[in-house]
Amino acid sequence: MKTIYLCDSSIEGILSGVYTAWASRKGHDNVKLRLKDDGATMELFCQYEEVPVDSQKADKVITAIRNKISEEAYEVVYKAALSNDMERADKIYRLLIYGFRVGAGVVSMLQNQAVYDIFQMCRFVDNETHLLTGFVRFTEMEGDLLVGRIGPKNDVIVLLAPHFADRLSGENWVLYDVNRKKAVLHPAYRHWYLTDFLPSDWEDKIVKTSVEDEYEDLFKRFRKSISIKERTNPICQLNHMPLRYRPYMPEFSQGLRDV
Amino acid sequence: MLIQESLSVQEKLEILSDAAKYDVACTSSGVDRKGKAGTIGNASKAGICHSFSADGRCISLLKILFTNQCIYDCKYCINRSSNDVVRTAFTPEEVCQLTIQFYRRNYIEGLFLSSGVLTSADYTMDLIYQTLKKLREEYHFHGYIHVKAIPGADPLLIEKTGFLADRMSINLELPTAEGLKKLAPGKNRDKILKPMKQIQNGIVTNRFELMEYKKAPAFVPAGQSTQMIVGATPENDYQMMMVAEALYKNYDLKRVFYSAFVPVNQDSSLPALPGGPPLLREHRLYQADWLMRFYGFQAGELLSEDRPNFNVLLDPKCDWALRHLEQFPVEVNRADYFTLLRVPGMGVKSVKRIIAARRSGILDFEALKKMGVVLKRAHYFITCSGRMMYPVKIEEDYISRHLVGEERRSVWDISSSNTYRQLSLFDDTSLSTQVNSGGIVV
Ligand code: SF4
Repeated sequence: MKTIYLCDSSIEGILSGVYTAWASRKGHDNVKLRLKDDGATMELFCQYEEVPVDSQKADKVITAIRNKISEEAYEVVYKAALSNDMERADKIYRLLIYGFRVGAGVVSMLQNQAVYDIFQMCRFVDNETHLLTGFVRFTEMEGDLLVGRIGPKNDVIVLLAPHFADRLSGENWVLYDVNRKKAVLHPAYRHWYLTDFLPSDWEDKIVKTSVEDEYEDLFKRFRKSISIKERTNPICQLNHMPLRYRPYMPEFSQGLRDV
Repeated sequence: MLIQESLSVQEKLEILSDAAKYDVACTSSGVDRKGKAGTIGNASKAGICHSFSADGRCISLLKILFTNQCIYDCKYCINRSSNDVVRTAFTPEEVCQLTIQFYRRNYIEGLFLSSGVLTSADYTMDLIYQTLKKLREEYHFHGYIHVKAIPGADPLLIEKTGFLADRMSINLELPTAEGLKKLAPGKNRDKILKPMKQIQNGIVTNRFELMEYKKAPAFVPAGQSTQMIVGATPENDYQMMMVAEALYKNYDLKRVFYSAFVPVNQDSSLPALPGGPPLLREHRLYQADWLMRFYGFQAGELLSEDRPNFNVLLDPKCDWALRHLEQFPVEVNRADYFTLLRVPGMGVKSVKRIIAARRSGILDFEALKKMGVVLKRAHYFITCSGRMMYPVKIEEDYISRHLVGEERRSVWDISSSNTYRQLSLFDDTSLSTQVNSGGIVV
């Protein structure tokens, strides 16, 4: 009978699951990893086992990946764990089975389905991160604070944080993931940190510097006048800037489309 | 000339960004620079798009003219001195404020500062220099700056400006001296090429300095670029590509941009272009430019005096492959990097993946699909372990008919400009590269 390990959706949770499934010695074909909250239906004739988050076990897996496969493989696993793929736990497990067998070369062996699955997930995570480095918008709040809100599909906030910490090192800023209700906080000239313990009314407590930010208005005007009328092309625009990013951008506050 | 000094910043911004929009370069690419304590900003080599305007072009930089006043009368230009438009100018302070405030809110990657020629080339260049100096030294801006060198300006001013900018550009605008004479009477080849040479030399010298002392200030670290207008004068594609190639080779340009001519002025020396700007032609030029920069093609391989224009129905790479069928099919498991790069349907990324993946085993067609190869185009030109995907004739007419059929839709999409879809160039559909001017992945 197959054993299904239900893990927490964090990277520690997933790697705890990897450790437990591996250590069970039931054979890789007889085990499967699933996320506790993946919303999928229960399978019949399976045994379910919940895996508690255990950072020691997770650390052991991480050390093994780094030493026996490669640093790059760890990076790939880390990113895949941030993906929104509901089957990411099992996909990571399958990658690691193969990776521990073939070693450092694994990350480029796209012909292998397990590698390819992870590659696709990482690509999505990377693309979304890259787009958001451009699409994040900060609003100026009272008390010298910039606040940006995002609603990403993947859990990319920790990948974005170093980028903004480097470029806006002298600013107080908050980057808030609306979907996961967690935020990166960056006090000026200090390190950033991640928190998911925000009081539910935190957003009401801060006030925009002014109702109509002058620069928001200027940017809207700039966006309009920089466009060449004879080349108007909403489809091309849409391909580069999917609608789902636009609700968080002030230039689309009057509507998600320009034309 | 109607000069409005008392306009609000909003009005100035509208006028001076509207007047800057025909400069297609908006990339912020070419240099990686970490942030520094006490400054604001950094730079990322791949470039970052912050928004897209209604024409589908990337907005990366605050692209503005310092002033739209101009002593010249270039026929194609909205700012030509004989045009009756409202003239205005920013102050250096205003440019700095806009840049910093936009940057803090993450609207932009930096500044693109160009200008009409006010009073004289030197006077204008100095205004630009003063503005950048203020932005870098007083406002501590550490992000990306692209600046125009004004043709005819004092080399010393150009040099000083180059130490504050990441990229400099001087637009060639028209590929031939005759074209320039006809449409830009105040300029000539020499005035444009001289500063281009100067910047090139500056970059080379600086490279040596940087090798010796790591702390030496960087001169135009993201390189220089230029722009040519497509379709304002009768030059053919072959001439355009030969000029571009010479610019890459002799001037080390990082980028040549192509800008489909948009008639903004009524002038008997300008073409009317009833079908709208020549977008498809512009697209083909970008594709060919791409082939020269990343695929090892020479302009002379793609076009010739006898065949001076690109095929409307096929992209330049397919077109080339069809004329060189004797070199195909190539064996994917053995062919070297540059041979694979010449296969239609394969891009730089997919070829790199193939080379990495085949080290650990033989690849089949299914595997190629995973690497991002577009098989419906590539399969005519490759074998996997000696076998083709389908039993097809390697015959020009046959393949051409199929490829044209496949391309027809995108051609139609581009030429009927309102529905112009984003075409991915040679299947490198990576979103992580910056995109500009009508969906050209750069
Ligand atoms: S020099 Fe020519 S192209 Fe440049 S702003 Fe003046 S008129 Fe326009």
